[in-house]
Amino acid sequence: MDKRLEKILPLVQKPARYTGGELNSVIKDKNSVAIRYAFCFPDSYEIGMSHLGIKILYSLINAREDAWCERVFAPWTDMEEQMRSNGIPLYALESGDPVKDFDLIGFTLQYELCYTNILNMLDLAGLPVRAADRKGLSPIVMAGGPCACNPEPVAEFFDLFLLGDGEEVMNEILDLYKAHKQRGSDKAAFLKAAAQLPGVYVPSFYDVTYREDGVVDAIIPAEGAPEKITKRVVRDLDSVFYPDSFVVPFIDVVFDRVTHEIFRGCIRGCRFCQACFLSRPIREKSPDTINEQCKVLCKNTGYDEISLCSLSSSDYSGIEELLSKLLDWTPGEKVNIALPSLRVDNFSDELLKKLTGVRKSGLTFAPEAGTQRMRDVINKNVTEEEIMETSRIAFAGGYSAVKLYFMLGLPTETPEDVQGIAYLAKKVVDTFYSMPEKPKGKGVNVSVSASNFVPKPFTPFQWEPQATVEELKEKQDLLLHTCPSKKINISFHDIHTSFLEGVFARGDRRLSRVIETAWKNGCVFDSWNDHFRFDTWMDSFASCGLDPVFYANRRRDYGETLPWDHLDFGVSKGYLEKENEKAKRAETTANCKIKCAGCGASKLNGGHCDV
Amino acid sequence: MYDVRIRVSKRGRIKFVSHLDMFRTMQRAVRRAEIPLWYTEGFNPHPYISYLLALPLGVEGVAEPIDIRLVEPMPMEELLDRLNAVMPEGLRVESAAAPFHKPAEIAFARYDVTLDRADITPEELTEALTCGELTCEKSGKSGHKKIMKTVNVSEHIREYRLEDKGEQLLLTVVLPAGSTFNLNPIQLMEAVSGRLGRRIYPPLTVRTALLCEDLSEFI
Ligand code: SF4
Ligand code: SF4
Repeated sequence: MDKRLEKILPLVQKPARYTGGELNSVIKDKNSVAIRYAFCFPDSYEIGMSHLGIKILYSLINAREDAWCERVFAPWTDMEEQMRSNGIPLYALESGDPVKDFDLIGFTLQYELCYTNILNMLDLAGLPVRAADRKGLSPIVMAGGPCACNPEPVAEFFDLFLLGDGEEVMNEILDLYKAHKQRGSDKAAFLKAAAQLPGVYVPSFYDVTYREDGVVDAIIPAEGAPEKITKRVVRDLDSVFYPDSFVVPFIDVVFDRVTHEIFRGCIRGCRFCQACFLSRPIREKSPDTINEQCKVLCKNTGYDEISLCSLSSSDYSGIEELLSKLLDWTPGEKVNIALPSLRVDNFSDELLKKLTGVRKSGLTFAPEAGTQRMRDVINKNVTEEEIMETSRIAFAGGYSAVKLYFMLGLPTETPEDVQGIAYLAKKVVDTFYSMPEKPKGKGVNVSVSASNFVPKPFTPFQWEPQATVEELKEKQDLLLHTCPSKKINISFHDIHTSFLEGVFARGDRRLSRVIETAWKNGCVFDSWNDHFRFDTWMDSFASCGLDPVFYANRRRDYGETLPWDHLDFGVSKGYLEKENEKAKRAETTANCKIKCAGCGASKLNGGHCDV
Repeated sequence: MYDVRIRVSKRGRIKFVSHLDMFRTMQRAVRRAEIPLWYTEGFNPHPYISYLLALPLGVEGVAEPIDIRLVEPMPMEELLDRLNAVMPEGLRVESAAAPFHKPAEIAFARYDVTLDRADITPEELTEALTCGELTCEKSGKSGHKKIMKTVNVSEHIREYRLEDKGEQLLLTVVLPAGSTFNLNPIQLMEAVSGRLGRRIYPPLTVRTALLCEDLSEFI
C-alpha cells in the first residue's frame, strides 16, 4: 500500500472504503493482461457496493484471462481533501494503481444527480473531463446504465455509451479495444469501429442542431455511424453470464446480501415508470437456475440473506416454485429471503404464508396515487379494495408497520388526488383497528413516502411538463394539512433535487456546460442533501445562458425532435404517444399477461416476451 | 459444546477494517467454512464468536484471540485448514486450542511501533516517553454521559524499549489492555504528537502479544 495513503487513512472516516482487499476481490498480474478496466461508480462505496450491475460486469470482465477489472468509487469529501493535498491521484481498489493509466474507464449512470461526481472523479484521476481533450487511445471513458438512455447532458464527457444489457456488448468492446491496442491504432479509428457495434453510441459522431426557440432541430450522424442506435438485449437469461461470487465488503453497505435478478422487464407498464419501459422485453430466468446460482453465491460469500430483486418480483411466473425450492434449504442454512418489490394486487395469502418465519419487519406497497382516477391515469392497476385486502392479510400475518409510496405532481393531478393520499393512508390505519385478529399489544404505523414525479424519456409521460417547484410545494403542504391521524408519518423528497433531476433527465447536450460549471463551482454529491447546493446550480445555468425551466416544466408536442430520438430502446414512440393519450382519458392498459399491448419491445427478442 | 480459542493474525491493509466490521467478517467466514458452530438462540440467531479484545483501527495483530463454540468436536488441524481456505486477504488463523486463561485475565498488551526517523528522532521520543507528563484526550464515561478525559499517559507505560534501525525506529511498548483500562499506541503517539506540536503517525503498529497481570503470556 502507498505509504502516503497509510498516513492519511487514519484521518478519514471509514478508511476501509479505500483499502480494497475484500473477500473475492480479484487480483491479477498486471503484466499478463492486455486490458485494464476501471469500473467507476460515481457515488460512495456503500452505495456502489450495493449495486448488482457492478457485480455482474466485474465478474464478467474478470472471467476473461486477458482483462483485469478493478473497482473505483467516489471518495467522500474528507478523503478527497486528503488526496488532493497529498497529491494522491484517484486509484483503483484492487491494485492501488492510478486510474489514469487504465485502458478503459467505465462509469455506470444510475441517477442524474451523480453527474458532477463523474467530473470530479475524472479530475481526481488527473484526466481532462471533456472527451475532446483526451487525445490518446487510452483511456477510453465510457458509460452505461439507466441514464444512458438519454446521455445527452453528459455527452461531451464520454467517448462512448453502451445501451441496454451490458453482458454481451461489454465483451465485444473489450475484443475490439484489444485488437486496436495491439495494432497501435488511434482513438478516432477505434471509435469509428466501435460505433458500428450494435448498442454502442459514440456521441461525438452526431451533430445536434437547434431551432431558434431552443428545441432540438436535428441529430445528424457522421463517420458512418448509424442513424439509430438500438439497445442491446440479452435473450436467454438462463445461459447469460452470472457471477458465482460477489466481492464481500468489510464495512456495512446499503444492500449487503446475495441479490438475484429473476427477470428483466415488467408486465405492468405504469406510465411514469422508466425502469419498466427501458428494460422490456420481458425475459425470465428459470427457477432452477436461480436456485442453483443462489446456493453457490451463499456458499462463496457467507451471506445469510438472499434478495430477489426485479422490477415486480411477484409477477415472476415461477415465484411459488422458486420460493419452495429456496425454502427447501435456506432455513437449514439460516439464510433469509427478502422480496423487496411486492405489488399489492398479487400478494396472495399463500405466498405470504410461505414467507412467514422469514422476516417480518415491515411491508411496503406502492399505490403511487391516492385516488382511483389518478391511478388509472398512471396505469397503476390497483384498486382501493385490493390495498385494503392486502393490508388485512398482512396485519393478520403479524405485520404492524406499513410503508406506502406515492408520487406528487403527476399529470392531471388535482387537489382531491393529493388529499386522497392522506385518506387512503387513514383507511389503512382504520383497517388495522377494525380487525379482531390484529397483532396484539402493538399499534399500527403507516408511513407515507411522497416523492415528486419526474417525467422521464421513453415513458408515455416524456412529453409532459414537470410540476413546478411552487406547485410541488403547495401539494406537499396540502398533503401535510390533510393528514388525519397521528399513526401516519409523512415524508417528502426535496423539491429542488427533483427539479434538477427533471432538467437532466430530458436535457440536451448544451447542459454539459452547466454541469461542468457547477462542478467547477464546487458541486459534488448532489444526491446527498447536505451537499446539494441549489443556488450554485442556478447560478451555473444563468452563467451558461440556459433556463432550467425550459427543460423541466415545458410541454413538448408529439412532433418535436427529442434529444434522445436517435436512441431506440425497443418500445416505439408511437406506442408511448398512444399511452399518453389514454392517460389523458384516464383509460388503463391491461398488463402483458392479460394481453400484449404491442409496445414494440418484443422485436428485440425475436418477437417474443416471457409472459 | 466445545470452546475453542483461535489466534488470528491481521496483517496489511485489512488493519483499516474496524472491530465492528471484523465481527461480521468472521461470522461470514465461519459460514463459508461450514464450521459446526453453535448458534445463539432467539429471534435472529447468529454464530457464537467472541473477540476478546478489540484491535484499534490501523493496528495490525499477529495472534488475536477469538473464542468460538462448536456443537461437535473437530480436529484442530481441520478447523484451521477450513477457515484459512475462506479467509480474506490479510487474515489467517494461526492456531487453535482449548482456552486456558479467562478473558478477564488480560491486563496488558505488547506492541511494536515502527516510526520514520524523518518524523521523529530517538532523542525526541526518549524525552517524550520519560518526561512524566505525557497526556492525551480519551473518551470515557461519567455516569451515562460520554465525556473526554485527560489521561496521564506516562503513568501507564509499563515497559518500553527503543531500537535505532537506521531509517526507522522500533519502539516496543507494553500498555494496559483489557476490560478495565485500555491505552493503545495510537493514543500514545497522539500524546507524543501533542507534546512535540506536530503529527507523528507510525507507518506500522503491530500488537504482538496479550499479557496477564504478571506480564506472562495470555493463552
Ligand atoms: S409495477 Fe409499475 S412501477 Fe413497478 S416496475 Fe412495473 S411498471 Fe414500474
Ligand atoms: S411486446 Fe407486448 S408483451 Fe412484450 S412487453 Fe411489449 S406489450 Fe408486453
